[in-house]
Amino acid sequence: MNHIFRKVRLIGSFLLLLLHTVYVNMLLSFCFVSGTAAINERQYRDMPTHGIGRWRHLLLKQAPKKKKDRNQQKELVSATDTAYGTLNVTVSGYDMTVVEHYSQYIHNFCNRLNIKVAESYALPTKSTEVLLMQEQGNKTYVDAVLKTHRRVVQLSSLNASLCPVFMDVILKNQPEGVQLSVQETEADYQARFKARPELEGLKTSKGKIT
Amino acid sequence: MAAPCRKMASRSFSQLLCYFSRTAVGSGACRRFSVTSIDRATPRASTAADRATSPWSLMAAVCLQRLPVITADCSPIEQRFKQMLQQMELEKSMLSDHELRLMEDAERMSRRQADDYDSDEDLGDQEIMMTQDLEDSWEQRLKNFQPAPRVRADIDEDLTSVQRCLADSLVLLAEQQVGAEKLWLLPQAAWQEGETLRQTAERALNSVTAAGVKATFLGNTPCGVYKYKLPKAARTENSVGVKVFFFKAILADGTPGSAPTASLLWLKKSELQKYLKPAYMMNVGRFILNL
Repeated sequence: MNHIFRKVRLIGSFLLLLLHTVYVNMLLSFCFVSGTAAINERQYRDMPTHGIGRWRHLLLKQAPKKKKDRNQQKELVSATDTAYGTLNVTVSGYDMTVVEHYSQYIHNFCNRLNIKVAESYALPTKSTEVLLMQEQGNKTYVDAVLKTHRRVVQLSSLNASLCPVFMDVILKNQPEGVQLSVQETEADYQARFKARPELEGLKTSKGKIT
Repeated sequence: MAAPCRKMASRSFSQLLCYFSRTAVGSGACRRFSVTSIDRATPRASTAADRATSPWSLMAAVCLQRLPVITADCSPIEQRFKQMLQQMELEKSMLSDHELRLMEDAERMSRRQADDYDSDEDLGDQEIMMTQDLEDSWEQRLKNFQPAPRVRADIDEDLTSVQRCLADSLVLLAEQQVGAEKLWLLPQAAWQEGETLRQTAERALNSVTAAGVKATFLGNTPCGVYKYKLPKAARTENSVGVKVFFFKAILADGTPGSAPTASLLWLKKSELQKYLKPAYMMNVGRFILNL
């Protein structure tokens, strides 16, 4: 008696399963109207992992970079009640490695103290010829050629309370043979340009006409 | 307390142009400095409302430092490392012009001494001065040069001399009358109406040292403050204590002058402890750098 019931139950469950799949299939074909695949067919012809590593479409759109970004003069900050304006720290000397290392030290020190460094550039090297008188004669002869290197670190704004601390530290760490000079930027900057007489003439003539 | 701070803030800043150089020890034991300062604004007249009555009286002091003149000696490890680096650099470097000329001359001499020497091969004029002779003359000049001694023990012992301990930075200390007793401290002066604290500090320096001393102040802001209360006997309604503001300055190149008005000492930071009171020393030691 038991085995009959078991067979009946088995057959019953099998029938149920068959009905279930048929039902699901009908459902699917009702749901997808426009001839897409049934559950057995694949969406893409190639790998299922196609485009799995795509990330660039997730980034925000960046404006295209302009080519002419460098060589623009940054705005000179003027002095306020609590801070100095744009200052030029010039390091000059005969030994290039020492001068460059000291200017790098100043730059790193400013970064550490969160002083904004606007620019850091080098001025052209000046060569000095040292002529000595000969001991026996009146003629001078070339003894040595000395090259003066100059590096400038431009600070955009220096807080007045930080100034004495900053100056003290860089003075105490100044290496031998190196000159340090701290100046305002305006005069320094204008000194780098040549005078343009024809432009100034045009300007004055334009002023006269209009 | 509010009055002088507000006054300092409202005054627009004097631009500072400083030039510091650390080149050969020419005259004296100090670095050469040149300072130009442009003072733009006139001070605003203080109104009665500004002057709040406060029980603290103000003073300004100056921390005058003489920076080191010669390099400090290297420790043994530093010396060995320096030698090793120099050796490495020498081995990696290329021959200089002078050395190339020496080699060429030596080669030319050996060619001339050879048996099959043809004088037509020798192009160009004979140099009047051979490179080796040049080098010999340079060596001779070096031998004749006598550098000054780096460490002079007798001057180092003298605490009042500005030229002691050329490898360290020194701080100026003056003996001043404070209340009832004479104390060793950084030169200070009381603040007066109508001047900034920095001017007070300059006045303090001028009163303590001779006229020939030139100092460059590093900024318009103080680098430290020390406040102390007067002893109970001296306290009144209006004066509870004193606040001293310290300003940093660097000694410019100047002869110390004839005779200072008060007794002065130039001390290293390690020696300050013997002369200053402990609380004062703790405060002052915070802004005196021991580099």
